[in-house]
Order: sequence, then structure tokens, then C-alpha cells
Amino acid sequence: MPSKYVIHTKPVPHRFEPITKSGVIAWEEGCLKCAVCVKNQCVYGVYDHRHMDDRQMVDSIDNQCMNCFRCVQNCPRELIHKSINPDFMVMGDSHWTPDTIARLWYQSQTGKIPVSGAGYPGPFSGPGFDSMWTDMSEIVRPTRDGIHGREYISTTVDLGRTPKNLVFTGEGEMNEDIPPLVHIPIPMMMRLPRFGAVNDQTIKGWVMAARHLDTLLVLPQEICSQYPLEVQRHLVPSIGTGFKKMAPNKMTRMVELIWDKDWDKNIEVARYSYPSAIVAMRFPLSQGVEEDIPTALDAGCPVIHLEGRMDGTTLDQPSQYIKDGIRRVHQALVERGIRDEITLVASGGLAMAEHVAKSIICGADAVILDFPILIALECRMCRRCEKGLSCPVEIDQADSKWVARRTINLMGAWHNQLLEVMGAMGIREARRLRGEVGRAMFFEDLEKDLFGTLIKVKEGYELE
Amino acid sequence: MNKADIKPNGMAAEMSNGQNPILAIFYCQNIPGGDEGSRQELESHYGESIRLFPIPCGGRLEPLHLLKALETFADAAFVIACPEGACRYFEGNRRAKKRVERTQAIIESIGLEKERLGILLGSREKPKTLSRWVKELSEQTSRLGVSKGRRL
Repeated sequence: MPSKYVIHTKPVPHRFEPITKSGVIAWEEGCLKCAVCVKNQCVYGVYDHRHMDDRQMVDSIDNQCMNCFRCVQNCPRELIHKSINPDFMVMGDSHWTPDTIARLWYQSQTGKIPVSGAGYPGPFSGPGFDSMWTDMSEIVRPTRDGIHGREYISTTVDLGRTPKNLVFTGEGEMNEDIPPLVHIPIPMMMRLPRFGAVNDQTIKGWVMAARHLDTLLVLPQEICSQYPLEVQRHLVPSIGTGFKKMAPNKMTRMVELIWDKDWDKNIEVARYSYPSAIVAMRFPLSQGVEEDIPTALDAGCPVIHLEGRMDGTTLDQPSQYIKDGIRRVHQALVERGIRDEITLVASGGLAMAEHVAKSIICGADAVILDFPILIALECRMCRRCEKGLSCPVEIDQADSKWVARRTINLMGAWHNQLLEVMGAMGIREARRLRGEVGRAMFFEDLEKDLFGTLIKVKEGYELE
Repeated sequence: MNKADIKPNGMAAEMSNGQNPILAIFYCQNIPGGDEGSRQELESHYGESIRLFPIPCGGRLEPLHLLKALETFADAAFVIACPEGACRYFEGNRRAKKRVERTQAIIESIGLEKERLGILLGSREKPKTLSRWVKELSEQTSRLGVSKGRRL
């Protein structure tokens, strides 16, 4: 058995005061000057260490308050209130919600799984991945010994083509070469987000994180070529139109092409420039994509990257979510009998650790993360950078080591959550989780089973 | 936000040398046009010459906010709060008014003009949007010039 893959994390502080959901409104006027003020009785000492961050005008009491409401309830003149913070509520959008962003910050800061500790009040279903419930029938097993206990849960996945069958010569020798595979110890790769105040130092940090985690980072080819050979095996050059042949690079393990009108020209150039690399093809996740995938496979692209929108929907149908798209493509490939020859990689709108496990259950082999690694750097998804405004948390000023450590923390927390989910299902191999829809329940299927026949009238019958 | 409220006035271009007045505006989130989109539009228009800080209520503001702003980056600091009697927390705007007056006395005692601080309460009859307030304030502070406090 290989040695256990563990991502060691350690707390990495924020550079800016994080925006909290609520703020304290503590009025002084009318204070009775009690002998023992409720502020002095704060069990967390919030009022004792009060200071102000002058860059953002954030009062430390807002960040340190643990919402016990003791001071609010006990002040005899009711001078202390809690209020929702307007800055918090405007973060992100309907998909990248303020709560999602805050949880990603927590994970990047601590490297730990966020636990509310107060039960889950619901809702129990929602759009996209929220309509999936994963199996927890074996939940007793990981809790008995912990996710890093005696049982070994492997999260390694293989990228590349596996042959349908092996062919031997009369002497018992293999008659054909086994196609190359890339093994990554976590089913999570990274790529540059579409926007963000990112500079060379930020990308360098992500490269360091990819190397530390032994995973892959997809970068535009011109950026990849700036890095030394020893890190090339952790980079995936993304090649677009206009790419010209270059001196062969044998260190690169995977290269990505884009499914456009020039894909067949680019594939030749890519093969020459990266002779030992597996070729991945990036498809927009839209209706009918499964029809084009066999063409790409025949042309020698065993890795298919299905790219959804950043809000978790498919590219052409805003009402369809990437989970539906992945399921549809996976099922179509199974029916064609070519699923095992292809590696499916999904991206777009993956915002929580559970989305990784759920994508794999729907049929992806691995996922590519983009915005979570940006939010790990305190991004507020305000999209000011897109409008040419300054980044409120100066991501472009961040040191590459800090970037790497925050990213590692996030990936560590997500890896642990994947182990938790797999442990609860009784699955010990991420490769076996792929397409395992029997380990999940889909709200829309349940609803159809339970209520699908109601109000429907069989043909030929008439309502009285 | 009404686009007419933020006609170009060249302020953004002026703000590159750090010697032009910088305005800190703390505004109650409940005032008209106090949403994030308007804030970004105003920041994009005025550049570094204004810093906008939304607050849940005018009463959230303490003298420390204003003094810290004047000490670190601003030449003038203003609070925009709801009209009298329209505060969601009943008396947040009244408290903010008293605090600003107290802080004005403090800065006067150290030799700064008290006009560098102020509070603006909206009117129920003629409500003004955030962008309108900002336009008026930016014209007002351009006359005040750079604060001695910031030069220290």
C-alpha cells in the first residue's frame, strides 16, 4: 500500500480584516456607567483588544465578536445592538454567496473543515449540486477511527486513456504500448480564474502550491514557458490559436487545447512541442457536446475538460447545471462504450468541497478549480478589477509564499472533506466513486418518483 | 443611480500626486442610492479622491472612525445618514450628529478646521441620492485643500 497522502496545513493569517456577517453597534450615549460593564464581562475579551484597521475602517470588535449576544442582552440600557454588515451582503453573487466566500476564507486561513456546530437548519434542497444528497450509510466507520486513521482512503485519480483490452503476442509479451497515464493524488487541479487582481507573484504562488500538492495547474502556454523545467511537470500549458512550434519539452505531462475551428492544426503543433504529454481538449459544457467528444478521442485527446459557467450552469442553457451536464455526457459515453477510454474533467462554479465529490459521483474523474483559489487569497468577488478599480485586498501585492500556503490550506481542507464524504459512503477509492450515482439521491428524481403520477390523467380517461 | 448626478469633473485625474484633497464618506446603507453598484460607479468616476464606507446605521460611527480617517488618509470626513425621525434604529442619526459635533470640537482644539468634518441628514420631502451628496461634497472639499493633519 502506498504511503498515505496527507496535506499538512497550518494557520495562515489574513492580510486584511475579513468582512464579517454582522457588526456591533455599541452606543455610548445614555451609558449608566455601571460598576461592572457588560463589555468587561465579554468572555472573548473583544472590547479589551479593540482597534481599528485604518485601511478599511474596520473595527476589530466586528471581527472578533463570536455572536454570543451576551452583551446585547445584558446591557441595562440596551445600548449594544448587532446588525447585518452591508459590506458582507454585497459580496459575490447568487452563486458565490457571502457565506460561501466566508467559508472559503476560513478554510484558507485555518486549513480546517468549517463546522457550524449548531446543526443544519435547512434548506435541504436547492438548485444545482444542492439537489444531490450523498449516501452516509457507513458514517460510523470514519468517525470510529478518523479520516486519517487506520483505514486508507485513496483519492488518487488517473488522467489519460486506458485501453479496452490488452493484446499479447504468442510469447506472452505485450503487443502494444500502454498509453501514458498521469496520476495525481487528489482529484483537484487548478487553473487561472477569469478575473482577479492576479500578477506574476500570485501565479508563482499557485505554481508552488501545485508542486507541493503534486497536482496540476493549467496556465496559458506563454506563462508556462517562463517557469524552469523542474516545475513543468506540474503545469498544463493551455494552447490557443496562433501557437507555433517550439523546441520539444519532454517534462510536461499534460497539455490542453481548446475545441475551436483550429483544434486539428493545434494538436499537431502541441504533439511536436510536448511529445510526451497527454493531450486534453477543453469543450464548453453545452447541449450536444457528447457528439463531438468521440472525434477528439479519435484524434488522440483522451482527457476531456468540460467547462461550465462560473455560476455553475452549462454554457448554453442557464436552467441546466453542470451536474446535469456531467451526468448527461458521462451517460452518453457509457452508452457508446468509450467511457473508460476517456478521462472527464469538469470546471465552472465549483465553490464548495462537496461539489468535488458530487461532480465525481455525476461522472467526472477530476475537477479543475479556479475561483476558490482566488477567494483563498481573500478575494471578495466584487469584480472591481474587471472595471479597472483597485483591489480592496490588494491581491496583486501578496507574496508568493503566502499565496502558496493559503492555497495549500484550502486544498487540504477540501481533501479532508472529500475523505469524510467517501468514508461516510464506505468508498475507499476516488476512482470507484466516479459515476456512482447509486451512492446519491437526486431531488428531481425523487420528486418525479413520488409525485410524478399525480394530477396526470391517462389517455382515454376523462375527469368527472 | 442617475447618471446625470455624476457628471465628469476631472477629479479622478487630479488625484495622482497625493497633494489633492481626499474625502472619506461614511454613509448609512439605507440612504437612496447606497447600493454597491452605485458605490463602484462613484469610485470609478472619482478615483482615489474619495473613499466610500457603507455602514449599517449612522449610529455605528464613532469619533474614532473620523479621527482615524483624518489621521491616515483623508483631508475631510463626512457622514451621510437618514432624515430625522427615519432611522431604522430610531436614534442612530441623532447620535451620529452629536458624535460628529464632539469630534469637530476635538479637531478644532488641535488646530484643524472643523469644516473638515460634517454630517448630512437627508430630507424626507426631497431625498438626495448618494451620488448627489458625493458630488456636492467633492466640490465643497476642493475649496478646503489638503489637511494639515495629513501632512504630519
